[in-house]
Amino acid sequence: MGSEEDMHDANDVQSVEDDFYTGETGMGSEDDDYNFGDNYSDDSEDVTSHRQQQNYTILSEADIRQHQGENINRVSTVLSIPRYAACILLRHYNWSISRVHDEWFADEEHVRKAVGLLERTVELSNARELTCGICFENYPCGRMSSASCGHPFCGACWRGYISTSVSDGPGCLMLRCPDPSCGAAVGQNMIDVLTTSEDKEKYSRYLLRSYVEDNRKIKWCPAPGCEFAVEFVIGSGSYDVCCSCSYSFCWNCAEEAHRPVDCATVAKWILKNSAESENMNWILANSKPCPKCKRPIEKNQGCMHITCTPPCKFEFCWLCLGPWSEHGERTGGFYACNRYEAAKQEGAYDESERRREMAKNSLERYTHYYERWATNQSSRQKALADLHSMQTEKLEKLSDTQSQPESQLKFIIEAWLQIVECRRVLKWTYAYGFYLPEHEHAKRQFFEYLQGEAESGLERLHQCAEKELQVYLDAEGPMADFNDFRTKLAGLTSVTKNYFENLVRALETGLKDVGTSNNQATCSKGSSSKSLGNKSKSGKIKAVAGSSSGSGAPSRSFDDGNLWSCDRCTYANPRSTTTCQMCEHHK
Amino acid sequence: MTSSSAASRKALSKIACNRLQKELVEWQVNPPAGFKHKVTDNLQRWVIEVIGAPGTLYANEKYQLQVDFPEHYPMEAPQVIFLHPAPLHPHIYSNGHICLDILYDSWSPAMTVSSVCISILSMLSSSTAKQRPPDNDRYVRNCRNGRSPKETRWWFHDDKV
Ligand SMILES: [Zn+2]
Ligand SMILES: [Zn+2]
Ligand SMILES: [Zn+2]
Ligand SMILES: [Zn+2]
Ligand SMILES: [Zn+2]
Ligand SMILES: [Zn+2]
Ligand SMILES: [Zn+2]
Repeated sequence: MGSEEDMHDANDVQSVEDDFYTGETGMGSEDDDYNFGDNYSDDSEDVTSHRQQQNYTILSEADIRQHQGENINRVSTVLSIPRYAACILLRHYNWSISRVHDEWFADEEHVRKAVGLLERTVELSNARELTCGICFENYPCGRMSSASCGHPFCGACWRGYISTSVSDGPGCLMLRCPDPSCGAAVGQNMIDVLTTSEDKEKYSRYLLRSYVEDNRKIKWCPAPGCEFAVEFVIGSGSYDVCCSCSYSFCWNCAEEAHRPVDCATVAKWILKNSAESENMNWILANSKPCPKCKRPIEKNQGCMHITCTPPCKFEFCWLCLGPWSEHGERTGGFYACNRYEAAKQEGAYDESERRREMAKNSLERYTHYYERWATNQSSRQKALADLHSMQTEKLEKLSDTQSQPESQLKFIIEAWLQIVECRRVLKWTYAYGFYLPEHEHAKRQFFEYLQGEAESGLERLHQCAEKELQVYLDAEGPMADFNDFRTKLAGLTSVTKNYFENLVRALETGLKDVGTSNNQATCSKGSSSKSLGNKSKSGKIKAVAGSSSGSGAPSRSFDDGNLWSCDRCTYANPRSTTTCQMCEHHK
Repeated sequence: MTSSSAASRKALSKIACNRLQKELVEWQVNPPAGFKHKVTDNLQRWVIEVIGAPGTLYANEKYQLQVDFPEHYPMEAPQVIFLHPAPLHPHIYSNGHICLDILYDSWSPAMTVSSVCISILSMLSSSTAKQRPPDNDRYVRNCRNGRSPKETRWWFHDDKV
């Protein structure tokens, strides 16, 4: 029961499946959790500030035992009952101390009856011989034991009874006297005295697991083989937690971490992927033909900038197979790979044709988002591996050849950590983008703008950390321009971090900032040359800060009054025009 | 049809034998009202005759219960079924399987054949309609390969009947 309650976000999947998100309600559904972290009521912890403070605790097995023991002691002291009885009560009320207290002080008799804790202990009859209620043999009373009810059973029968229950599963934690009319609880105190060490051990494992699995504030880390649990301060904000095993996951839905996208969107997306998985197999193939020479190219690096093998050496974008020259900053081209251009913008066409086109495009549309989602996923895996090899071997080598102490090379690790995190965020923004309704022009445009900024920043960072660093790794001795490289990589790391913070903030507030201009301008150092235009017709809409400029002058923000968004095709047009440059629709 | 699964069952443990001997003696001295057990030399399977209690829908009707004991009786529940023809009852399937919690989840080693018989008779006596369970056909079809009722995941609707 508890676990279902906890899944409040993921549970909504069915109901939102059909009506697609309308307006802000769907996408912004987690806002309440994020912004009003203090209007919850639960045990203990007082959470007023969030986000800054870590809102979860990683528990090792020893921590779990310790917390559990402390809780048992507390209840035992407050209610003046033995520890085994406190343990039974806590388990019954899902390890919530406040519930135990509430229920107990409201109606002690009722609670005692429900869990089988008798008010008065009935001692074993003091007859010289007693009959065991299971094997019906007579034994001297010294060889008999009973729960607090006084029903006598012999040692062998208790062992068999407990053993059968323990091997049946965690139900043994609620064991009762074997007498069918009785119901007196059999607690851990009896288990410890009456059974084999093997069964004692099994029982104590179930008890430990119960503290996590029946507790609405604690969950196991879902990483395979990981034995940590995570205690979460419910209502305190982002569900993303990072386990001591280094796996990041969403505490609420147990999927991998997916901030800033909400659990319901993630669940829908994962369902969608499994439904489409057969269609999508081809996408996962690691090789594509070079757009120029048609030889198969295998992508073995994390960034999307691919260079074909000699003699072709054609540089292209893995996602769209377009020439890289139209993406990078060198030509002042733009980076459009985050954009799905649903309709070919060739003049106006009538509604029915548009509909037909859309139906045809629906798989194509999904494919677009899925491919980018999956590519960022594998890119992230690759980056994790690169980070690892950097930490375990390459950094040391670099420190050697460039005569730099390793402490001076932290910026490289920081760059890779940023890449790993950004790939994760970027990946989930594609699931977000898929579910962002097409008709929400302004939001889509704002979203794609932020995503595009973030993505092109990340591509530059990834390329720099991967390819440019290689030169220094391959070098025989110190290179004069290493410090320039340091400045560049550290700069790209911080710029990219800014872009992603903007993106995350905007998505978490349901893109509410659209139409206002309070979006924090990102630092333009090494700024992207992306604009929202379409390559065929648009020129550059705004001057773009030169990539070498370290001035940090604020770059354009989306709603700086210089652009208007076309109602029909969402293209961002300069303020000075009255018809769309793309589709000639009137403003 | 259940004989095959009974035959494959392991022989009774020493503890089970001792306990059954005692139950048998007790039964002979003090049999539950309405039941007759024809003693054979097979301790592991008892066949017991039930006579419907006077004043109930089953008054004077005779049925036969077959009780098979597992190796670790009484820690494990016995398998109890009606032999053909099984009484018409909302909790008794036409293949003789009985939907009664004490035979499965709620079994306790402190229960006996005699106490099980009394429960079954009281279940019969309290019935107000002679009919099969609503899912009889589906259930019986699913049990065709001699599946034991102990392998069923029972869902006990109401314990009034
Ligand atoms: Zn008792
Ligand atoms: Zn005994
Ligand atoms: Zn973990
Ligand atoms: Zn989640
Ligand atoms: Zn080529
Ligand atoms: Zn591209
Ligand atoms: Zn237009």
